[in-house]
Amino acid sequence: MHRFTWIRPILAVVVAGFFFLPLYIAIVNVFKPSSEVIASPLALPLQPTLDNIIGVATRPDGLFWSGLANSIQLTGVSMVITTLLAAMCAHYLVRSEKAWGRVLLGIMLLGLMIPPAVIMVPITRILREIGLMATVPGAILVNVGYYLPFAVFVFMGFVRSIPRDLEEAAWVDGAGKFRTFWQIVFPLLRPASASVLIFLGVWIWNDFLTPLLVLGPGAGNTVTVGIYRSIGTYLRDYGAVFAFMFLATIPVLIFYLLFQKHFVRGLTGGATKG
Amino acid sequence: MARRRAGEEWTVSISSTTRVAPTRERDEHRATPRSNGVIRRGLRRWQEAGTFAVFVLPSLAVFTAIVFVPIVWTLAIGFTDERATRPETSFIGFDNFVFLLTNPSFLQALGNTLLITAIVVIFTNALGLAIALMLHKSGWLYNLLRSVFFTPVILSAVIVSVIWRSILVDDGLLNTTLRSIGVTDPPGWLSDPAIAIYSLSSIMVWQMLGFAVVVYLAGLAGIPTELEEAASIDGAGPLARFRAITWPLLAPSLTITTVMLMISSFKVYDQVAVLTNGGPGSGSTATIAFEVIQTAFVEQRTGMASAMAGIMLIIVAAANLIVLRVLQRREVTH
Repeated sequence: MHRFTWIRPILAVVVAGFFFLPLYIAIVNVFKPSSEVIASPLALPLQPTLDNIIGVATRPDGLFWSGLANSIQLTGVSMVITTLLAAMCAHYLVRSEKAWGRVLLGIMLLGLMIPPAVIMVPITRILREIGLMATVPGAILVNVGYYLPFAVFVFMGFVRSIPRDLEEAAWVDGAGKFRTFWQIVFPLLRPASASVLIFLGVWIWNDFLTPLLVLGPGAGNTVTVGIYRSIGTYLRDYGAVFAFMFLATIPVLIFYLLFQKHFVRGLTGGATKG
Repeated sequence: MARRRAGEEWTVSISSTTRVAPTRERDEHRATPRSNGVIRRGLRRWQEAGTFAVFVLPSLAVFTAIVFVPIVWTLAIGFTDERATRPETSFIGFDNFVFLLTNPSFLQALGNTLLITAIVVIFTNALGLAIALMLHKSGWLYNLLRSVFFTPVILSAVIVSVIWRSILVDDGLLNTTLRSIGVTDPPGWLSDPAIAIYSLSSIMVWQMLGFAVVVYLAGLAGIPTELEEAASIDGAGPLARFRAITWPLLAPSLTITTVMLMISSFKVYDQVAVLTNGGPGSGSTATIAFEVIQTAFVEQRTGMASAMAGIMLIIVAAANLIVLRVLQRREVTH
């Protein structure tokens, strides 16, 4: 059996190579003129050009830069608010041990499975009613509401693992509930916060349907919606489309690489516990 | 500022003596005259209410406004003939639901959604497990390959769909290459109604594969090696070891991947919008989420769209609860 140990690495590299092929095509063709993309999509860019990237960055309609600004605002504010609210809510629900807390958790868990398409009609109406339709704050509100159940769920598991004595000691020392939470509990929740932040960051950045319907064409949209719009404009200009996607992915890629550890840990937390 | 700090020191010094028995200290407080106790209890209730208002109320309010009220509202609109372009609306009972459940194009969308979900759940799990078994080794090469498989997970469905569209369209990169090597009539990966839905499902499997790989790798890492060694000494072959040890112990991983894959394939919209826009032909790749959005925001028939959403809601909730129950029972028995 040990004679065949060389099979595993070779097989793994070949399978991964085929798997990576579409990404390879998307990356190398950013640096080739569009005519070369169709003629030889698999070739390396022998004379790499930055024309595609410069073309996207200097578009007269500023689709990329306005999209980038909107995406950064929307993602940043949504994920921070969701994380803070969810941490406080989860802490209260775990510690108060009230019966209605369990009912609330059940309703929220159902909220985890709801496809956004199901609730989009009433959401746009509520936003129009309170004057937040087609605004970034409106989209932030939708994100916070939609992703809260997930964040509360992750935090509840972590709060349970924090010894109660710590909080009681702070309480006896005269710290109020609010101060106890911010100075004792929240710092201890850091691993959970990191997991929640990275998941929300990637999800919200990549979100398509919500910004498409909530932000609409008026206020300008996110980079992800911008990609969808740019296929219409460029149609055949693969180099330009790939360059747009390349630039739109860099922020989320950097963010992911910084927090990578927490992403994988958050994904696998439940798998190893069982 | 200085005074406050002095006060804090004072409470700390007191607490160091009381921390040992905090409950007794609180009991002593309770042993005050009755009238005092009533005030204290009132104060406590106020503090309770205040804490609730600060800790839970904001989350509850946003969740209610964005998820809970819209769910109830959607279910209600489904019983009307509402159109966004017409002022008057009337209650029409179950008419929308009766219409939808006998309507071929809605049933097709329902069938498409279930087919995509089945393909995604089965193939992502099977391939994900196979690749996880292949990569379950230490070393820089295997770490690198894990990242390769995981990369599509963090990309948006829009980007993944645009990449694949540029490859799979009729005069795209794949068919151009096929023609250049002598294939005269390559398949229309996205333009043939019989093939398009499988292309779309395969793209989803490709994107979510890395997620399953990571979850299964974590599950494999949690299996004690002694178990496999013991079985090996007892003469169990690799296949027998997998069936008796590895597979049963991966039950929690299977639960996570299946539920997550089901949730994400039931709501598939982005891939359909970018790859096929519901076509080719009449709705050969339209999903329920796609039909809901089209009916509500393009055709403006909000009553009908809400009835679709209501049916979808019931199917999603029922499917998830059943699968969760079945898979978790499996976890317990092993």
